Amino acid sequence: MRSYSAKILTGQPLRLAITIAGISLCIVMMLFLLAAYHGVANGSVEYIRKNRSDLWVLSSNAWNILRGTSILFTEDTYDIENIPGVESVSSVLFLLTGIKKGDQQATVYLTGFDPEAESGGPPRIVEGRSVENDQEIVLDGAFASKFHLSVGEVIKVRDTELKIVGLSGGTNALVIQYAFVTLHRAHLIVGYPGIATCFLVNAEPGADLDAIADEIKFELNGVAVYDHETFLKNNIQELQTGFLPFIYTIAAIGVVVLTTILSLLLSVNILEKRKDFAVFKTLGSPRGFVSGMIISQSIMISLAGCLAGVILYFPLVNFIERVTPEISTKTSFLQIISVVAVVLIMSVVSSLISMQRLRRIYALEAFS
Amino acid sequence: MRITSHQKNYVQLEGVNKTFIDGDREFHAIKNVSLKASPGELLVLLGPSGSGKTTLLTLIAGLLSPTSGSLSLFGRSVEGYSNKELQLLRARRIGFIFQDFLLIDSLHVIENIAMVLRFSGMKRSDALTAAGKLLDQFNIGHLARKLPSKLSQGEKQRVAVARAIANNPELIIADEPTASLETSQGFDIIKLLHNYAVEEERCVIVATHDLRIADLADRVMRVVDGEIQEECSGPIAEINQLIVVGS
Ligand SMILES: Nc1ncnc2c1ncn2[C@@H]1O[C@H](COP(=O)(O)OP(=O)(O)OP(=O)(O)O)[C@@H](O)[C@H]1O
Ligand SMILES: [Mg+2]
Repeated sequence: MRSYSAKILTGQPLRLAITIAGISLCIVMMLFLLAAYHGVANGSVEYIRKNRSDLWVLSSNAWNILRGTSILFTEDTYDIENIPGVESVSSVLFLLTGIKKGDQQATVYLTGFDPEAESGGPPRIVEGRSVENDQEIVLDGAFASKFHLSVGEVIKVRDTELKIVGLSGGTNALVIQYAFVTLHRAHLIVGYPGIATCFLVNAEPGADLDAIADEIKFELNGVAVYDHETFLKNNIQELQTGFLPFIYTIAAIGVVVLTTILSLLLSVNILEKRKDFAVFKTLGSPRGFVSGMIISQSIMISLAGCLAGVILYFPLVNFIERVTPEISTKTSFLQIISVVAVVLIMSVVSSLISMQRLRRIYALEAFS
Repeated sequence: MRITSHQKNYVQLEGVNKTFIDGDREFHAIKNVSLKASPGELLVLLGPSGSGKTTLLTLIAGLLSPTSGSLSLFGRSVEGYSNKELQLLRARRIGFIFQDFLLIDSLHVIENIAMVLRFSGMKRSDALTAAGKLLDQFNIGHLARKLPSKLSQGEKQRVAVARAIANNPELIIADEPTASLETSQGFDIIKLLHNYAVEEERCVIVATHDLRIADLADRVMRVVDGEIQEECSGPIAEINQLIVVGS
């Protein structure tokens, strides 16, 4: 009796439209949260992912570069270079630092790296070029567009003027954006030459990484050494502990709102048609018949909501990203499928909730 | 008029009582009712409003269970039927006509009929074909694609009868089927039901407070305050006598 379910729904077009709109907004919200989270996750660890190094060396109190203070001495890189099997070592210094342009000021996650080395720089250049000397800076693209900065302009860090020579991508971590200068410039800014946050070590092909790691730990006191995969995982984990509870909470609220809206509509529809249901019962409808009808109504609405939500989502996200460039989202087919799956599951839950109404509709009501 | 007492009974009530408990108030709606109904007859339960006719019908349909007494349907005690069996019984062996007909407003006429065929286990496509044929038999094939709200009372009445007999049930239970009809239409529906009872050897039980239609009954039982007060079979003279008693 799919036609019956559909007709009950379309019999109240306004109510149906409001419900579908509500559900689709919940879906947009869930999709957006997921996409924003993936955007942040991507922007936070893309630097590590792209700067693929065989080994990452940090002070032993830190296991990631997102949250943790690690201080190393660049002179130690000579010891590492001398370890058999090591091909290259480069130092990177991260500083949370303010930059100014006129009377505007903002904070960046400033990355000092050696432009001569093969790793440590921006994961991706979206405009202009990378840093070549101490008077240059590369800014994250979203950061630049938020503060209306473009390639060729000059900004100030402390009292030093730096020219923007390029914009980078994959460097937007929502709460902070990366910027890139030479290691030497970073040393000048912080006022302590010779320090680094981490070393990026690359080995010769076929070298025994474990042996090199052991040797590094033996030569340098108080450092931790991670292979690339472990280090990437550490950073993702750090990000998740910070963000996921927040994302889950909002998503859970979305799911509850969605289920409530849906159950409300279904229950109202059931109560409004209670005489019909009493007649079905009297006429000997099989056990699953009426329940099946409620479930199919629920799924029909949910699918319509999903469709509306997905259609609404892309233009909306485009708009949001244009208005607030620091929000960068990453939507995948898998995310959409997951949200649709959650919505369908919740639609079945909603029908089970509203079916409680049915129990109190008696066949006898057909006779009153 | 046919006397059918020699045939097996589809419905048999023996000393049935029904008490409704509403909070701490008890209401004795059916008092010590015994009755039988057999194939080939149209039985009318005649009584004023509140006398217990509907209660009696719902007991007979297995929708309510008696507080005491014995009630058997198709030769078997109702207590012996499981819920599933009662559901199948209502789907296949009992047809219903309600006051105001209670057609499903959101479904087309043909789907209203097909619905009961589906309840009895027929496939959707077969049910629609059979429903179409039935509508043609009732000369209302042209209404198939209409919604009940667009029908006249007389048309609704025909659809309601078609729905009740769609599964060719052995027993039809009709509660005030003429209440919303003009006199002539009221007669029409009772005639239809009577023909069905006689020609198909089926049993029809009609509850009504409408004296006029008792004319067409094979048997009339008068229900007053939950009790069967009188029973008479057939001829108009006796019915008239009832009218005198009733007034
Ligand atoms: N579920 C119930 N709880 C309490 N009392 C009930 C219940 N159902 C019926 N009654 C009472 O039982 C009596 C008989 O009701 P019933 O509906 O069978 O009468 P009726 O003859 O069909 O009347 P009408 O001609 O108005 O349809 C009425 O007084 C009614 O109030
Ligand atoms: Mg009644």
